[in-house]
Amino acid sequence: MITTLLLVSMAIILAAGVLALSGLIQPNIVWRRLSLLLMLPGLAGIIVASVWVMAGDLQVLIPLFEVSELLAVNFYLDRLSAFFILIICVVSACVTVYSLGYVEHQPEPAQRQWSIGLMAIFILSMIGVVASENYFALLLNWEIMSLSSFFLVILERKQAENIKAGIYYLVMTQLSTVFLFFSCLVTYSSTGSMAVNASMPAMANLSLVLAGFLLGFGTKAGLIPLHKWLPYAHSAAPSNISALMSGVMLKVAIYGLARITLNLESIPLGWGLVLLGMGTLSAVLGVIYALKEHDLKKLLAYHSIENIGIIVIGLGLYSIFTFYSLELLALASLAGALFHSLNHALFKALLFMCSGNVINAVSTRNIEQMGGLVKRMPATAGIFLVGAAAISALPPLNGFASEILLFQSYLGAFQIPSLFVAIGVFASLAAFALMSALAAACFVKAFGITFLAIPRSEAAAQAHEASPSMIAAPAILAGLCVILGVGSFHFFNMMGLNLPVPNLLPVTIIIITVVLIAFLMIRYLKIPVRKIETWNCGSANIDSRTEYTATGFSQPILNFFSPIFRTREMVERSFTDVFRSVLHHGKAEIKTMQIFEERIYLPVARFAMRIGRWVSNWQNGDLDNFILYGFIAIVISILAAGWWL
Amino acid sequence: MNDPLLIAVIIRILLVLILGTAVLVITQRSLRSLFTIYSIQSLLLALLALVLYWQEGIFSLLLISLLTLVSKAIVIPLFLRRLLRKIPIKRDLEFRYLTPISSILVSIGLLFGVYRLFYKLSDELNFEPLFLLGTVIGVSLALMGMMVIFSRRKVITKTVGYLTMENGVLLFGLFVAELPFIIEVLILVDLLMILVLASLLAFGIDSTIESFHERLRNFGMEAEE
Repeated sequence: MITTLLLVSMAIILAAGVLALSGLIQPNIVWRRLSLLLMLPGLAGIIVASVWVMAGDLQVLIPLFEVSELLAVNFYLDRLSAFFILIICVVSACVTVYSLGYVEHQPEPAQRQWSIGLMAIFILSMIGVVASENYFALLLNWEIMSLSSFFLVILERKQAENIKAGIYYLVMTQLSTVFLFFSCLVTYSSTGSMAVNASMPAMANLSLVLAGFLLGFGTKAGLIPLHKWLPYAHSAAPSNISALMSGVMLKVAIYGLARITLNLESIPLGWGLVLLGMGTLSAVLGVIYALKEHDLKKLLAYHSIENIGIIVIGLGLYSIFTFYSLELLALASLAGALFHSLNHALFKALLFMCSGNVINAVSTRNIEQMGGLVKRMPATAGIFLVGAAAISALPPLNGFASEILLFQSYLGAFQIPSLFVAIGVFASLAAFALMSALAAACFVKAFGITFLAIPRSEAAAQAHEASPSMIAAPAILAGLCVILGVGSFHFFNMMGLNLPVPNLLPVTIIIITVVLIAFLMIRYLKIPVRKIETWNCGSANIDSRTEYTATGFSQPILNFFSPIFRTREMVERSFTDVFRSVLHHGKAEIKTMQIFEERIYLPVARFAMRIGRWVSNWQNGDLDNFILYGFIAIVISILAAGWWL
Repeated sequence: MNDPLLIAVIIRILLVLILGTAVLVITQRSLRSLFTIYSIQSLLLALLALVLYWQEGIFSLLLISLLTLVSKAIVIPLFLRRLLRKIPIKRDLEFRYLTPISSILVSIGLLFGVYRLFYKLSDELNFEPLFLLGTVIGVSLALMGMMVIFSRRKVITKTVGYLTMENGVLLFGLFVAELPFIIEVLILVDLLMILVLASLLAFGIDSTIESFHERLRNFGMEAEE
């Protein structure tokens, strides 16, 4: 029954994709609407199937296609994969609704068809990765996922910047596949099983396998220092795709890490420490890079790195606590990590959709040129605010619920017998707390500079609210953020997990009551109000130039971290008079060194270029040379064959 | 006369002589002697095919023998000599990558390498010792021809390298592969084509491939690099 439901639903999504692509012959809005609407029942079907599996704690094996025992595309669902499929499908459904309106804003009709068709394939492949029964199916779907998302990133190919981002992304994602291939093959040769859920015993080359999986999945998840593709690709892609990539595709990589961690028969302490370390690094550096960023989508992308860091911290804590047999703490951290995966998917997709609305309205990604949008786009602003509050982990929203779980398990670290590990975990806790505060600061900046005050550009002053479907989709997600936050305690109870989550329902009721009373008091008590212009220091007119800019907002924080980030302040001033008293023109900029780009990526790239030049010297167009190469190759193969045969 | 032992001895002698001609092809500087050596090498091959026909009685071997005799031992060398009369160069003194002596040393190493490979293969393929020797010398001959191609600069010498290579392939074919007769004929046609092309190249007075490119560029027949 579940099998049929799942397969039929997937077939429907595939049909929708084919429909959209066949619409390329004659691009037309009806086809697009039709194929997007067709995807919705398919996604709904998969949601039902995955909830079913989760509720019943079932294990479903779906044989689909088998070349041989090893090369089979089979599906397997258990609670873990069903949970991630649920995340994928909920977000994808909202993105589909959003795309109804968003796709029409793309410049070329053919592009719109492509975007829908590729999106269907992308969604299917992500479901495929999570549902795969064996490594072969996983890698196959992984590749389809990488390629389809690559084409989606370069969809707006007119801009050279997007192509560069796409190539960067493609290289990194292929690198991740290489590592995964390696680890899957080594795992197979050691355990003799290709099954994704086969338990991994303590084998000799376990650390090698784990390193491969960490690099492979970590690159895709965007863990620092493997994160560099993420801000480029997310800002290059159309907003609906960014929502999918950031909300969902990163979670697919997290699923991989979680699956591997759960497969381990005895988790090595090192695995937990490495995960914790990389997670902490990603969380803190991600948010600080985000603070510096003025490109709205890049800012959100860096926040994805931060949130992936949080999730990986949860997995790391789970591994460490399991190593020391602290079951309750381990359970709390795992639940925190998984719950945060869901939450991040919800609010990050929401934020990307809202940013899509804003960018469509203002036609720039630079938040310095926005401002005042709350008056022009109230619905988008309201929804963005909910998302921002959720990602900043404010109660009673879902971000708070999952981060408090992680905080609780952090605080249990004093039970760890090894002093050094305990100190490490507490150090990580300090960084985690710092990160939470900085994230809130960053979203104050993002929301404030984008939506509040006076418009700082003509486009921002003329902005229009987005179409209904582009409001409805993030609104659904905002609703889910609230529900999941408020009901977190009850949801965990329902699933039979007794976790240290505060019951947010009473808090919410109190908040709502207070707000309601205040509102009613203002409305009906007729408190005398004095309306007067704000004092503006005696200046005749205050325009947008006197506003607090994003650079100004982040400057103190960046300066604070300047030893780590090598920030450089560049201030240029020119004066109209010789006494340097009347300012003619001024410009200030803060530059941070791209530490990973300059210290890791560029040296690697330069090394590859050097090898490339060396090799290309061999190809000099001299016939004799080429024959010599052929001769040497033959001689080597003869000698090698004679030696080894 | 049908004594198998005697035939085996004759074949051995012929093979060793062929190997000797290959060494001479590598080292010979005078073009005229080079062609003579090639002619002798082809003659030895024709004889070898004849002896094999004698031993096994396969008709196509006789045809191969005749064809080799007529084309490679007589027509091609004649053609080459006529070519030589028309161009001013009489000797090819330029060597690249390998000097003649080191070429010979490499050939010796090569012979051992090839022998080692086919010796290991011979268990599976049921070679007789004689056939093993034939295949080893055939492959080595082809590789030595290749060595001539890249270590000499003059086009006309390179052509002899190609021809030697083909002889090696033919020798290998005689012992192992039993190539169909039609393929032998086709290869022969290819050889004649090579010769025609080579003469086209060689009629240029300076006659190296680089200078040929240079001339094509002067006429605008080849795109600038």
